[in-house]
Amino acid sequence: MAYLDINNVVKRYEGHTALAGVSMQVEQGCIYGLLGPNGAGKSTLIRIINRILAADEGTVLLNGKKMTDADITHIGYLPEERGLYKKMKVGDHIVYLGRLKGMTKADAVASMHWWLDRFNLKEWENKKVENLSKGMQQKVQFIGTVIHRPPLLIFDEPFSGFDPVNAEQLKVEILALRDQGSTILFSTHNMSSVEEVCQQITLLNHAQVVLTGSVAQVKQQHKKNIIAVQTPDKIEPNASLFSLLPPDPVKKDDIRIKLAEGVQVRDAIAWLNEHYRLTGFTEVLPSMNEIFIETVKSNNIEQQ
Amino acid sequence: MNKLRLIIAREYMSIVGRKSFILMTLGMPLLIFIIGAVPMLLGYLNDKGSDVQQVSVVDETGRYGAALHSDEMYNFVIEKDLTMTNARDFYSKAEDGIDAMVIIPRDVDSTGTVDILSKGTITPALVSAVRSAIADTIESARLASMGIPNLQQMVDKAHVDVDVRSIKLSEEGEKESSTDLAMGLGLVLSLFTYMFVLMYGAMIMNSVIEEKTNRIVEVIVSSCRPFQLMLGKIIGVGLVGLTQMAIWLVLFVIVGMIAGGALGISGMGSTEAMAAAGASADTGVMDGIMKELYSINFLPIILYFILYFLGGYLLYSSLFAGLGSAVDQPSDSSQFMTPVMLIMIIALYAGMFCMENPSGPTAVWCSIIPFTSPVVMMVRLPFGVPAWQMLLSLALLFGTALGITWIAARIYRRGILHYGKKASFGDLFKWIK
Repeated sequence: MAYLDINNVVKRYEGHTALAGVSMQVEQGCIYGLLGPNGAGKSTLIRIINRILAADEGTVLLNGKKMTDADITHIGYLPEERGLYKKMKVGDHIVYLGRLKGMTKADAVASMHWWLDRFNLKEWENKKVENLSKGMQQKVQFIGTVIHRPPLLIFDEPFSGFDPVNAEQLKVEILALRDQGSTILFSTHNMSSVEEVCQQITLLNHAQVVLTGSVAQVKQQHKKNIIAVQTPDKIEPNASLFSLLPPDPVKKDDIRIKLAEGVQVRDAIAWLNEHYRLTGFTEVLPSMNEIFIETVKSNNIEQQ
Repeated sequence: MNKLRLIIAREYMSIVGRKSFILMTLGMPLLIFIIGAVPMLLGYLNDKGSDVQQVSVVDETGRYGAALHSDEMYNFVIEKDLTMTNARDFYSKAEDGIDAMVIIPRDVDSTGTVDILSKGTITPALVSAVRSAIADTIESARLASMGIPNLQQMVDKAHVDVDVRSIKLSEEGEKESSTDLAMGLGLVLSLFTYMFVLMYGAMIMNSVIEEKTNRIVEVIVSSCRPFQLMLGKIIGVGLVGLTQMAIWLVLFVIVGMIAGGALGISGMGSTEAMAAAGASADTGVMDGIMKELYSINFLPIILYFILYFLGGYLLYSSLFAGLGSAVDQPSDSSQFMTPVMLIMIIALYAGMFCMENPSGPTAVWCSIIPFTSPVVMMVRLPFGVPAWQMLLSLALLFGTALGITWIAARIYRRGILHYGKKASFGDLFKWIK
């Protein structure tokens, strides 16, 4: 049974449909990527899960039960459009967010100290938010999201506004939260971060799910049967087994071959190994970025 | 409920902790004091600083000149040698030292015209001093010319200042009521309501817009209902307002006590006669005011004032919150502010107008229509309002206030997440649906 179970959710606005029957199952303890171009409906779906918006149709189940307003204390949400009260003190602000999520004052204060310490922000506790750098404000924002240790975390473009060093720290924290049992829904355009942290993905386009599955599965589904071969010899094409592709613009030394229909990788490699001096080979899997662009483009053509 | 309390507390502290709030709370009474005291001080210095003006009097009749008494501002000197024909000539050739010249012609009894010449400006104070002195004298002269013995005394006897006591008949019997004090009280209450609603309504609007521009609002509404956030703001800012009013009241009382003490001391320092006269006059006036104060039944007035105040505040503040949520930055808010301001100003004018006739049809209707009733009813309140009008008006006010709060909550829910394109009134109506 999925921890977060979204069934056939529909949301209509005056003049357009933001979600046209979206379903998605998020397993407990995994990092789940919610992908899609701008305007695909990601933010609307996230707001429905957060109960900021109400779905016109469909259900959202949390842990097998229909979500109620009381469940929002089990969610930590970092929106894409985020900010803080500029005039509030850092410590007070974090405690306020924690208490709004139902923590007692003592718990919120203790948790705030622990997190500020972890992010090396201890000496900023009594400073006003407006005195912090943008990167530090983003950290405070993150602490405000996780302070109540929610079992479900929703991050919308979490890495925007972080420099590479801080982004790395954030990634480590997110993975640590996953290891402690939190389920994480992760919405982003940054495909390299998807490959690094997500196990499962769903790709939305034009208010519908166009691709879903584990990252490994999706890559297998979209592979083009291309092998990069390293050899000092010059390889001639063999029409029954493979054709030659122009070299990769980055890895110029690799020879790229595309397998013919129905040919297994090991058959092609066995034949190559017999006729040439092979020093290495790798199956070329498409990057999530390529899959994203390809799927969205072909879906857009279908829609027209 | 717990969340609402948190939101109220944060909203309250965020404003009360601000330097601008402290400055405003303490600065406003100071400003009012300065606005009130400076003209008085300037006027005092003006009178004090100017020399006594020399005024020559040419009296062709020989009877009226004596009526012009010199005082600390004007020194009247009768020029016996001059007549109308040579006065102008004399004055224009005279050295400096004569500030003005009053010419009373021989036929003044019939024409009632007196001339004042001056090389400089002729002050209104001089004109009125001359006018009243001459008029009084001419009046007595005319009475005397009628040849009726003791006419002056008879006229004095006939002259009265009518003291109109307004007595209100009610079931508890008749009681004396004061029109002036009631009017003053009504004006103060209605201005107070108007100012409070406007000031703190604008504060709520800014607070809503600030949360939107900060982009904090989505974080907050993922932890509570948008309605809780809006209500928390309205209550929090309302409490800020009450705090400010309470501080002002305390300051007012303290200043009043200090001023009262100071007056008492200065009174004792002056000559005994003056002190006695002053004291008796003061107690006379004070007695009158106290009598009038006692004649007003304060308890129901305070009760109704609180009810109208709350209703009016809820009505307008939720309106401001709803409209504030539809814009991204304060500069865009004017398109929505203008209509609301217009209604408020109409209410204030209606209140002023109704002061003349607190039971007239305009007053009655404006005190029943919810958008104007919180201001207009304050004007009528001290004069007494029939119970059915009161009940109808209160029911309408609270019904409308709750309705507007509901509508505002629906606009707010959508508005706070609406960025970019400026929302129109059409959009607002769509959001309500």
